[in-house]
Amino acid sequence: MFCDFDLHMPDRLDDALSVLTDEKGMPMAGGTNLLVDMRSRKETPASVIALGNVGELRGIHFNDERTTIGSRTTVSDLLQSTELVSSSPSLVEAAAVFAGQMVRNAATVGGNIACASPAADLVPPLLSLDAELMLVSASGSRTVPLADYYQGYKRNIRGKDELITQISWARLPENSVNMFYKLARRKGDAITIVGVAVTLSISNGICRKARIALGAVAPYVLRARESERRLEGQVISEELLCAAASQAARECCPIDDVRASATYRRHVVKALVGRLLSQSWNRLV
Amino acid sequence: MIYGGPSDETAPNVKRWQVGKPLPRIDAAGKAFGSTPYAGDHVMPGMLHMCIVRANIASAKLRFLDVAKARALEGVVEILTAEDLPIAEVAPGSPDRDGTERPNTGPPILAGERIRYFGEPIALIAAETRDIAERARQLVEFDLEPLAGVYDPLEAMKPGAPIVQGNDNIVAVRNIRKGDAANRLEDADYVVENTFWTPFQEHAFLEPEAGLAWTDENDVINIRVCTQDIAHFRAIADAIGVPHNKVRVRGALVGGGFGGKEDCTLEKFLAVMVRKTRCPVRLEYSREDSFVGHGKRHPLILRYKTGVGKDGKISGLDVEIVADSGAYLFLSPYVLLYAAVASSGPYRIDNLNVRARAVATNNMYTSAFRGYGSMQACAAYEQQMDEVARVLEMDPIEFRRLNYLQTGEPISTGFVPPSAIWTEQCVDRAWKAMGGPVNSTQEHIKIGRGIAAYQQSYGRLSFLGDTSEAWVGVELDGTVIVRSGVADIGAGQISALCQITAEILGVALEDVVIYSSDSAVTPLAGRTAATRTLYMTGNATKQAAEAIRARLVRRAAQEFGVAPDEIDLVEGKVLARAQPDNCMSIGALAEICETEGICRSELAMFHPQLQDFLDPETGQGQAHPDYVYGAHAAEVSVDTETGEVCVLRSIGVHDVGQCINRAAVEGQIEGGAQNGQGFALSEEMLYEEGRLVTPSLSEYLMPTSMDMPRVESIILESRSGIGPFGAKGIGEPAITPVAPAIANAIANAIGVRVFQMPITPERIVNALEERDKRRRTMTAR
Ligand SMILES: Cc1cc2nc3c(=O)[nH]c(=O)nc-3n(C[C@H](O)[C@H](O)[C@H](O)COP(=O)(O)OP(=O)(O)OC[C@H]3O[C@@H](n4cnc5c(N)ncnc54)[C@H](O)[C@@H]3O)c2cc1C
Repeated sequence: MFCDFDLHMPDRLDDALSVLTDEKGMPMAGGTNLLVDMRSRKETPASVIALGNVGELRGIHFNDERTTIGSRTTVSDLLQSTELVSSSPSLVEAAAVFAGQMVRNAATVGGNIACASPAADLVPPLLSLDAELMLVSASGSRTVPLADYYQGYKRNIRGKDELITQISWARLPENSVNMFYKLARRKGDAITIVGVAVTLSISNGICRKARIALGAVAPYVLRARESERRLEGQVISEELLCAAASQAARECCPIDDVRASATYRRHVVKALVGRLLSQSWNRLV
Repeated sequence: MIYGGPSDETAPNVKRWQVGKPLPRIDAAGKAFGSTPYAGDHVMPGMLHMCIVRANIASAKLRFLDVAKARALEGVVEILTAEDLPIAEVAPGSPDRDGTERPNTGPPILAGERIRYFGEPIALIAAETRDIAERARQLVEFDLEPLAGVYDPLEAMKPGAPIVQGNDNIVAVRNIRKGDAANRLEDADYVVENTFWTPFQEHAFLEPEAGLAWTDENDVINIRVCTQDIAHFRAIADAIGVPHNKVRVRGALVGGGFGGKEDCTLEKFLAVMVRKTRCPVRLEYSREDSFVGHGKRHPLILRYKTGVGKDGKISGLDVEIVADSGAYLFLSPYVLLYAAVASSGPYRIDNLNVRARAVATNNMYTSAFRGYGSMQACAAYEQQMDEVARVLEMDPIEFRRLNYLQTGEPISTGFVPPSAIWTEQCVDRAWKAMGGPVNSTQEHIKIGRGIAAYQQSYGRLSFLGDTSEAWVGVELDGTVIVRSGVADIGAGQISALCQITAEILGVALEDVVIYSSDSAVTPLAGRTAATRTLYMTGNATKQAAEAIRARLVRRAAQEFGVAPDEIDLVEGKVLARAQPDNCMSIGALAEICETEGICRSELAMFHPQLQDFLDPETGQGQAHPDYVYGAHAAEVSVDTETGEVCVLRSIGVHDVGQCINRAAVEGQIEGGAQNGQGFALSEEMLYEEGRLVTPSLSEYLMPTSMDMPRVESIILESRSGIGPFGAKGIGEPAITPVAPAIANAIANAIGVRVFQMPITPERIVNALEERDKRRRTMTAR
């Protein structure tokens, strides 16, 4: 079943980092991805560093400017926080349609980001919130925008000795709407066919900020930057939103797989981006 | 004993002591608390662990197979290939008294030279640990030369297609002819023609196949396995060349069967290995093994051509069915027959022409699955009924009402079912339960409703012959033992037998213990399939209990000095009805019987009369003992932009004849609603050149609890069935009408029909786009 591996269960972040040095070591948070991949032998780590006992990595914190969550915060934790509903609604919406209850109890935000799946459901919301990651190794730490984290299919800039420790983002500007929609073949425990998160900030009828993040339609979760550019600084109209939706559909590059065809995915991107943008607009006027 | 007349009330029948009540099933607590041992929980000291080497190309020639390296691995005890087996070709474990010629297309235990499907077993490994067996599997060397394969039954019927079985790949043909369909279609006011596609379906029981085999002190090979049919011991004995009494199959409570454990699964693998090694051997499938390790539901292509008058009466029906039987025959001829017999549904169709063929391909073989061909036929005929109603511009229910088969009228094969036909009551109750219309508040969401009625047989094919035995005995303290070889596959089969026994003998359900599913020590009861267990074994158990009751009553009457018909058995006591003080415990009465040599036990056999074969030309005759009728209604919302479907209401209405355990009946209806919803909407086995590309539960999408609405069960009791107390059955009927009800609801919501299941969001979007394209070209003209 599994390959042979050494199991480390550190209590403190420092201890975790001190064993996360060699190429063949892998951190494990909830294990809902890693254990599945180890069982199918897609992953054969020589050592597994279980983060379950590292308490300092778990928690949700707010201050006047930013929301910060520890990487080991579980998807269920996100659903327990009332403050998160107002500060980051898209993330809570994604958590509510994430997997099923059992997986939500184990799965973590850090694991979802680190697995680098194009279908990772928390990533479009976090991109739509301009989230940043803190990467820490035994020799130091750095902060990188989530938007720069992914390099290709299941590829990212994380060094083998680094852990994602926290994720943070600034409060949304006034007059903003932030939402997420997951389209899948069933409601529980389903891999996303298309995930869309949008942030729309409007004042005086003009779009001040637009974020459109698309899941499962490219090698990694994508921001539809052209589409965003079309909106920002413009007077919002139904036609503009429609054009932005069409543009988003052009920007994605989906594939055919067992769940859906590329053509269908593109069709849905247009429909959902259009729908989420106009729902956001309706809420703001 | 009179148990009251027909009732379509949904309240439990209070006149009975036990039967009809929603009692906690005898197997419930153990399953809820996790203490029930399943087949996979049994282990033995010194046992070996098995694994299977499978072919990874669907159509190929096995050019070479070398197990030397694997054998050399420390801890590997034995590796068997086709060459090592005593008997290479083994007939399938299916009944063969079907009156039709068919090619010998039984699968070998291990493939020799010719590989016909992806995953076909080519070697068996036994090792000291699972891990070693697994590692040995990686060391087996083999070379497969790909051969031209065929993966579409329509292609497989064409001249020049690669041959998988027989001379032309056609492995079974079933025809039904009555009246003059061709001419009635010719002169009909309207002719409506449509083709429907139904998909493969995986049983996906919670418990993948598992078993343990060992040799006992009598040199008998014992196999502890999860199975729907312990009578496979005979086929297993034949396969390894030992007498039938040298193989004993001991079942366990089964974690779901649905037809997937009706054929032999891993029994023969265990048997050949235990015989060779003389050590206990254990084999357990992973979920991935299970996906490639047992047959699937037959995909069917059904072309319907219905002739109908302006008055809404169906004048003629022509049906053509093509079933994909996959690489081996298994139960295909029977599944095909069920589909053909069912193809006219619960309607009076005097002019009928059905041509059905099962075709071999290099896809995974197909066999039994809940509903067994009838369910696929229902998916087609109930969609067709809605399509015909649409052409007539009639309400779908009113159109059906003009054509319902009524009690006492003959079905497609000319046979008149002995029981009541309550289709109309069921449809009307379902629609009434739906209530007033609901409107969508969002423009892109459309809400629709659909209904489907059905006819589903219960009991085995009448020309195959069927028997079932049960033994009942009363202990000296008044408790009761039942012995019967039934396999309980999770639907409450054994609990129902206990409840029947408790009813007849006037004891509580807790006072009855049952021993089941052992081919050597429990009287054989036949397979748990074909919605036959309650009908067959329920009747046998009731007969046995009644025989004991008669003796007890006679003796008690003598004791109390009253006539036997004045004696009651109630709450563990025997009493004279007119003088309730004249009373003793059933245990005390049993003690008297014991002393006087009055037998306290009885072995009974139930067997319906064996019937002739159906007419090979016209298919006329008696196919089954009787039929269940009912309906399912569904309400859905459809997102017209994304094609997403949400099932909002799911209502099953069935005339089950008589509930034995109301809660268990509801459980079946709820499970059927889930099983059928998956078939209609999301479950999809995608094969590429015969290779399954959705081999896990993250790709094969059964509805989860989050996808299910609350299922509403409405149970009608005509008390007209030929099972115990007038019972019919519910195991298969519960799924049969679900998928077409959902399909009709979707078509009702969006105004177009998707003819291919599962009705995925993508297919819905495509159908809507095509309609819009048609509309545009029409306006352009
Ligand atoms: C039944 C089921 C349903 C699922 N449904 C969904 C769904 O609806 N949506 C969805 O997005 N996903 C889903 N998943 C996938 C999975 O649950 C998520 O991706 C989850 O967020 C992974 O988190 P984890 O804590 O379990 O990660 P793990 O499995 O522990 O780790 C995943 C990867 O991240 C790495 N990693 C973990 N933590 C860190 C860290 N702090 N720093 C650096 N690397 C780290 C690990 O080494 C590993 O490579 C599902 C999985 C299952 C089994």
